Amino acid sequence: MWLEILLTSVLGFAIYWFIYRDKEETLPLEDGWWGPGTRSAAREDDSIRPFKVETSDEEIHDLHQRIDKFRFTPPLEDSCFHYGFNSNYLKKVISYWRNGFDWKKQVEILNRYPHFKTKIEGLDIHFIHVKPPQLPAGRTPKPLLMVHGWPGSFYEFYKIIPLLTDPKNHGLSDEHVFEVICPSIPGYGFSEPSSKREFNSVATARIFYKLMLRLGFQEFYIQGGDWGSLICTNMAQLVPSHVKGLHLNMALVLSNLSTLTLLLGRRFGRFLGLTERDVELLYPVKEKVLYSLMRESGYMHIQCTKPDTVGSALNDSPVGLAAYILEKFSTWTSREFRYLEDGGLERKFSLDDLLTNVMLYWTTGTIVSSQRFYKENLGQGWRTQKHERMKVYVPTGFFAFPSELLHAPEKWVRFKYPKLISYSYMVRGGHFAAFKEPELLAHDIRKFLSVLERQ
Amino acid sequence: MWPEILLTSVLGFAIYWFISWDKEETLPLEDGWWGPGTRSAAREDDSIRPFKVETSDEEIHDLHQRIDKFRFTPPLEDSCFHYGFNSNYLKKVISYWRNGFDWKKQVEILNRYPHFKTKIEGLDIHFIHVKPPQLPAGRTPKPLLMVHGWPGSFYEFYKIIPLLTDPKNHGLSDEHVFEVICPSIPGYGFSEASSKKGFNSVATARIFYKLMLRLGFQEFYIQGGDWGSLICTNMAQLVPSHVKGLHLNMALVLSNLSTLTLLLGRRFGRFLGLTERDVELLYPVKEKVLYSLMRESGYMHIQCTKPDTVGSALNDSPVGLAAYILKKFSTWTNTEFRYLEDGGLERKFSLDDLLTNVMLYWTTGTIISSQRFYKENLGQGWRTQKHERMKVYVPTGFSAFPFELLHTPEKWVRFKYPKLISYSYMVRGGHFAALEEPELLAHDIRKFLSVLERQ
Repeated sequence: MWLEILLTSVLGFAIYWFIYRDKEETLPLEDGWWGPGTRSAAREDDSIRPFKVETSDEEIHDLHQRIDKFRFTPPLEDSCFHYGFNSNYLKKVISYWRNGFDWKKQVEILNRYPHFKTKIEGLDIHFIHVKPPQLPAGRTPKPLLMVHGWPGSFYEFYKIIPLLTDPKNHGLSDEHVFEVICPSIPGYGFSEPSSKREFNSVATARIFYKLMLRLGFQEFYIQGGDWGSLICTNMAQLVPSHVKGLHLNMALVLSNLSTLTLLLGRRFGRFLGLTERDVELLYPVKEKVLYSLMRESGYMHIQCTKPDTVGSALNDSPVGLAAYILEKFSTWTSREFRYLEDGGLERKFSLDDLLTNVMLYWTTGTIVSSQRFYKENLGQGWRTQKHERMKVYVPTGFFAFPSELLHAPEKWVRFKYPKLISYSYMVRGGHFAAFKEPELLAHDIRKFLSVLERQ
Repeated sequence: MWPEILLTSVLGFAIYWFISWDKEETLPLEDGWWGPGTRSAAREDDSIRPFKVETSDEEIHDLHQRIDKFRFTPPLEDSCFHYGFNSNYLKKVISYWRNGFDWKKQVEILNRYPHFKTKIEGLDIHFIHVKPPQLPAGRTPKPLLMVHGWPGSFYEFYKIIPLLTDPKNHGLSDEHVFEVICPSIPGYGFSEASSKKGFNSVATARIFYKLMLRLGFQEFYIQGGDWGSLICTNMAQLVPSHVKGLHLNMALVLSNLSTLTLLLGRRFGRFLGLTERDVELLYPVKEKVLYSLMRESGYMHIQCTKPDTVGSALNDSPVGLAAYILKKFSTWTNTEFRYLEDGGLERKFSLDDLLTNVMLYWTTGTIISSQRFYKENLGQGWRTQKHERMKVYVPTGFSAFPFELLHTPEKWVRFKYPKLISYSYMVRGGHFAALEEPELLAHDIRKFLSVLERQ
């Protein structure tokens, strides 16, 4: 019905937009100011201040009270996770959250890495900065910026950081030793949200670039998935001379003719540059591409159009927030998890990690601002943004996880990132790569660096 | 990006589905049982029991506590209702809800009409049944079933009922005097929710048909908008010999070639049967049809796919629930209201009426079950349901309200409802016609009856 008119009515627009490509090579580096009210004439404070995550008995007590008052609705019989987060399983998660989960202990874990805040473009930007504990003499660590997405946070990188900063103690060679910077996207967790409209991925990219400069890095590597992938891509488009290498575990490279070729069927797949593995991951198109996307993009649709509406309930109900966020950790890890009564959540993640991530949204009250990012980036119309039509000219590495929401074959990635020098099919894993498969991701980042340095 | 693959990938499917229509004339009347667990062998209790809406100090106290603990997120500067329900205005609504709104008084108002419950297909069905207070001698009232939609309720009809059951006391002739039955859709308000999957509009239509039989009516008239429109349409498809007349204020008749002709532009509109008024309401297509639908259908998309996920927060946060529901009362009454700081809500509705409607979802905890209806009806794929491809062969009347989400020209309505005998362009009003413009709607229902009786 309504979906149909949408589909047919924009056919003309879609084809036109699809094949129109910009010629430029860099995105213009503009400027912005996102704080509340009008900008003061005084020079902005650019100091880097240490920051500690804190909590209080009050905060925990309020959470417990709200959990105790939650009103459950029984799921439909035999519905597993097909209607969303099954409330029978939700009860178990909530029970642990209420009785077993120790937020004070988790806060200590969060504080194990040094946190900082610094003001850029009117916003207080939060980040962690982890240096290697040991280095061979005369070596400098490679600066690596890692950017999270939604509904994730800087916390997703906690398991992979040691593999990158301290490889020797984790069974890896010290050929590549990094110092890792993980910022929070403004409006997510401890980074101040924008007060102004139109705060999008390009603005974020510019702010993170300024952050790296402020930390003393003229050249650096960047890594990201989900929004992190787009933000890092934008950084590479804004200041390619500063980005030594770009590594992604997700790429939104669907806007080219190759995508249309999907419809021609798997037989033609080979002729059009798809490998056997690509074909496995993309066909049958109806199920793996079409239905999958339609089924999983409801949250995106509502966040692109009415973030404040759905967000207000989520910011008032911690259980509702947990259900909303954790559903993504289930389905985006493996779409088959919908068929399980418990959504397969604890197969890949510990409840402590999952709930810590949820707490970062809950205690900071940033769910609404995090959702507005969707509207600012995707709610302006299709392919209206300059960066969507521009290619990326820095050395790029890509990591294809099998359960990622939509598989991106090498051919498609190369279309947007012509300097793709490393493409790997991972044996397992889904959307939250850093969280779930830190060893595999670390291994691929290092592999990418090796290929890059050999050139 | 993602919206693009969707669009292009299903082109073929869309056109095929669009133009295929079934030849059959009636929908098969099957049967169902939706209660919890397995059906018992005992004969179902089919008595009609009087019912009274009740509340308690406890209920009101719990509501107040939750309202007091709501955590507001400041809106972006100058965003009005473009990002959803503006939280500055939400504060005002909540303040009234907390301090001015008198739920006990509203419950008395609700109880002014007689309520009943009766078990059908395993579910306790709630309805109000209002008989005319006075009738000329020898006359029998015309039975009229009126069905609400989402996020509405039987309460939407409270202002129009007197105009239909007691026209003489409201300045109308007694040519048409009705007795009105307004049921609650199972899963909405006081009607028990289904425990089984698959409970859709056809099942609801069948249950309401059985309700009318149980009340002693072999023939009757039916009226509806939103889901009510679909349910009444299904009734007319299931048991056309029992439906004397069908009146709608909304019609989902987009699946025909005429719709594609929209793209040809307004010049051709006339040749294709569109009137000047139609052209006014439908063009420019990009803004009035395409963008409008994309912008307003996020809620539909998420409810069609993950109703339980978004619902759990809504059932835990009354303020969040109010924002979610009242947003619709703003934008679906007039899309231009997005540009207003207060969403134009109080221009057409009183806060008492709006909040009473919200309370019906809150006190019964039925938001999730109400949202599941979307998945059961629309989440099974496009045009996979038999009734979508079948026409309707009972005398039909249609009121076209100017601010309805999508205008449906007479030509399109007649395509699905070949026995359309009355089509009216209403001078004002939007989606919630019965609540917003009861006189106009009552007038058109009576006009439809006049035309019908003259035949």
